[in-house]
Amino acid sequence: MEFDEAKKMIVEKLEKKAKTKTKFYFNDLAKILDMKPRLAKKLVTKMVEEGVLEYWSSGSTSMYGLKGAGKQAGAEGE
Amino acid sequence: MAKHATPLLDQLESGPWPSFVSDIKQEAEVRAKNEKGVEYQIPVDVCDDLLGVLELSFKHGRTHWKHGGIVGVFGYGGGVIGRYCDQPEMFPGVAHFHTIRISQPAGKYYNTKFLNQLCDLWDFRGSGLTNMHGSTGDVVLIGTQTPQLEEIFYELTHNMGQDLGGSGSNLRTPSDCIGSSRCEYACYDTQNLCHTLTMEYQDELHRPAFPYKFKFKFDGCPNGCVASIARSDMSFIGTWRDDIRVDQEAVAGYVGGELVPNGGAHASRDWGAFDIQEEIIDLCPTGCMRYEGGKLEINNRECTRCMHCINAMPRALRIGLDRGCSILVGAKAPILDGAQMGSLLVPFVKVEEPYDEIKEVIEAIWDWWMEEAKNRERLGELIKRQGFQKMLKACNIEPVIQHVQEPRHNPYIFWNEDEVEGGWDRDVNEFRKHHLR
Amino acid sequence: MAFVSSGYNPDKPMEDRITDIGPKHFEEFYPPVIKKNKGQWLYHEILQPGVLVHVSETGDKVYTVRVGGARLMTVTHIREISEIADKHCDGFLRFTSRNNIEFMVDSEDKVRPLIEDLESRKFAGGSFKFPVGGTGAGITNIVHTQGWIHCHTPATDASGPVKAAMDVLFDDFKQMRLPAQCRVSLACCLNMCGAVHCSDIAILGYHRKPPMMDHEYLDKMCEIPLAISACPTAALKPTKVEFEGKTLNSIAIKNERCMFCGNCYTMCPSMPLADTEGDGIVLMVGGKVSNRISAPKFSKVVVAFIPNEAPRWPSTTAAISKIVEAYSADANKYERVGEWAERIGWERFFDKCELEFTHHLIDDFRDPAYYTWRQTTQFKF
Repeated sequence: MEFDEAKKMIVEKLEKKAKTKTKFYFNDLAKILDMKPRLAKKLVTKMVEEGVLEYWSSGSTSMYGLKGAGKQAGAEGE
Repeated sequence: MAKHATPLLDQLESGPWPSFVSDIKQEAEVRAKNEKGVEYQIPVDVCDDLLGVLELSFKHGRTHWKHGGIVGVFGYGGGVIGRYCDQPEMFPGVAHFHTIRISQPAGKYYNTKFLNQLCDLWDFRGSGLTNMHGSTGDVVLIGTQTPQLEEIFYELTHNMGQDLGGSGSNLRTPSDCIGSSRCEYACYDTQNLCHTLTMEYQDELHRPAFPYKFKFKFDGCPNGCVASIARSDMSFIGTWRDDIRVDQEAVAGYVGGELVPNGGAHASRDWGAFDIQEEIIDLCPTGCMRYEGGKLEINNRECTRCMHCINAMPRALRIGLDRGCSILVGAKAPILDGAQMGSLLVPFVKVEEPYDEIKEVIEAIWDWWMEEAKNRERLGELIKRQGFQKMLKACNIEPVIQHVQEPRHNPYIFWNEDEVEGGWDRDVNEFRKHHLR
Repeated sequence: MAFVSSGYNPDKPMEDRITDIGPKHFEEFYPPVIKKNKGQWLYHEILQPGVLVHVSETGDKVYTVRVGGARLMTVTHIREISEIADKHCDGFLRFTSRNNIEFMVDSEDKVRPLIEDLESRKFAGGSFKFPVGGTGAGITNIVHTQGWIHCHTPATDASGPVKAAMDVLFDDFKQMRLPAQCRVSLACCLNMCGAVHCSDIAILGYHRKPPMMDHEYLDKMCEIPLAISACPTAALKPTKVEFEGKTLNSIAIKNERCMFCGNCYTMCPSMPLADTEGDGIVLMVGGKVSNRISAPKFSKVVVAFIPNEAPRWPSTTAAISKIVEAYSADANKYERVGEWAERIGWERFFDKCELEFTHHLIDDFRDPAYYTWRQTTQFKF
């Protein structure tokens, strides 16, 4: 899959869900892309580097979200 | 005069064991005096405020920290843990107080040049408080503010050649025992394997794509000094498959009392004279040893390499020469379905550079786990849910009796169709010719 | 306090960025005697508590002096460690996986001055900075987690109870009189960052009250689906609550399903669970990770709850002391705590350690529970 196509799929899907949920597990993203996790990772990593996605970590678990989305961002005042 | 009164914490300054309270107070004083003229990048009184908030926790019996999940350095999903104080106005110095994990060197050896550099950096851009080391193995730098994170990362990588460690759904910073660098029991070079795999899997360590955390730990022998069998998803434990080397003269030395048994580990109590029959032969879990006519015999074929006799008579008995490691998988702490020890997956593999055979097993496990695991499911839980046999298949490893403690307790075998002669498709009419309806 | 840039350019984070370089190579940090003799060690001996000698095939020897340390240490303290290593050890040292510090020298005449130097250093409050010990059949440093100093879900402190416990166990850090080594560990909540579940004696923080719902703020501060999916026992569900005449989205909890892990609080700060009376300590015993003689074992819960008694946790340290003394008096040479308990039977273990058995100690958590009940008529009265 081309990167731009993948990016479009991810952004569309995440924006659609943004009302209820803004953070997603890696596997949720791989499922959106319908790709094997290790292949999907390359594309997802690039989306992070481009500033489309950002990481969120509970310390023990990591999640992904659209950059700046979600209530936590404001709450943490960063 | 201290910024906050800490009557409860002060009670932890007495007693012989090193007092962290005294240490933090000493740091608070050094920062206040600032004799070196450091241009502190976070509040000077951060240590005072930390003592203040800790005193409040001692008073309340409750923590005053909140978690924060967005902070990190660009492009990395791990290595930084966000922390905020829930009394920021009372303790502004620690209002934002994030943790940074630094990937420790294998074996935890250091030179003072490196440590001093790290101290300078952390003085300047952080609280001056550390953990040497965190539970997983990293050097943990406790307490800095968000604007410092990129600066610290830049200085670490540019000036010190040093990277962050893992957190979140990543490969966590691998850790190892002292290994052959200073231990005669080590069956392989734990430092080299630990470092090589840490370097090989940097992407997995920094960019989270796993269902949950994943830990490697490397123990040089079955004594297990880094507890890999209890706390790593993949545990590499040194072992050997030939004979224990015996020096009969040294055995006689232990029996005669010239050599100190257990390497002197029991020296503070009079346990009486060393009795080889009682202390070695009778305690051997397999009963594979005899001592007769002044000669120690080991039936090595029956030995399970528990290390007891070697630990007890280190100058007489030595590990074999055909060495490698066993790989066990799936250990974890109790949450959620109960604690799990590692289960034996690879009974023996040679540990030889470039470690291709080991990497093959690792990558097969990851492929299986990444595809099959639910979110936040540790490898051990997946093995339980799908079954050990599924894992063997995924790793293309032949089942052997060593994989089990004992055979299964029930006959409910899920036979595959191709294992049953003639398959499962049958003609019911043919059957009915001989069995009326 | 002016901001000083490292050279990092926030507008171009990828410019000159160095990533994925990992830790420093371990060989840079080997003392010369280690580098030269790696893989050639013949045997070792503990010369006195805290002092080891390793002898190489080459005839070289390395003398190691092990000292205890609080794992929470400041840069001032680390600088002092460095100063000692520069003075005695050619600028090298190492840490152990149990937070001890090891100073190594290459000849016997350097050992005495090193020990004297280490033992002479004390903090202003009077405690030792570098007590020598922690080897052999004794009690070495307690591995532990963060506790109230830095964690958001602890049910007890870590550094405080560890300091209190090590003060009580100090004699056994300084000597080797026990039947075998006794490993003590602390984790400040059931998530066990410290993986204490295979320790001879484990001190575990435990909450006993489910989280409170801060309904007014919950939906403003948290993503409800995230908090709900963080619950490992599915005790949470979305709900609507009436608050000051408004209907708010919030979370409902089925209290009896809560296992007090705090995972929801990690995701959502509007669900705090820490509580002065609710939180305290569980004691577990009998675990081990070594394969020596018997297989590795899990620790078992022997005290269901002890309140947090800051600053010195006297009930906790007294219970630990009692267990150590009973073990020391009764176990055979080489027996770990768990092996001893299994040989004499847990009935006797509770007698000898003067512990009370209550219903809390009968496992009722999922599958592993069955394997802990007694499926034999062999038991002791």
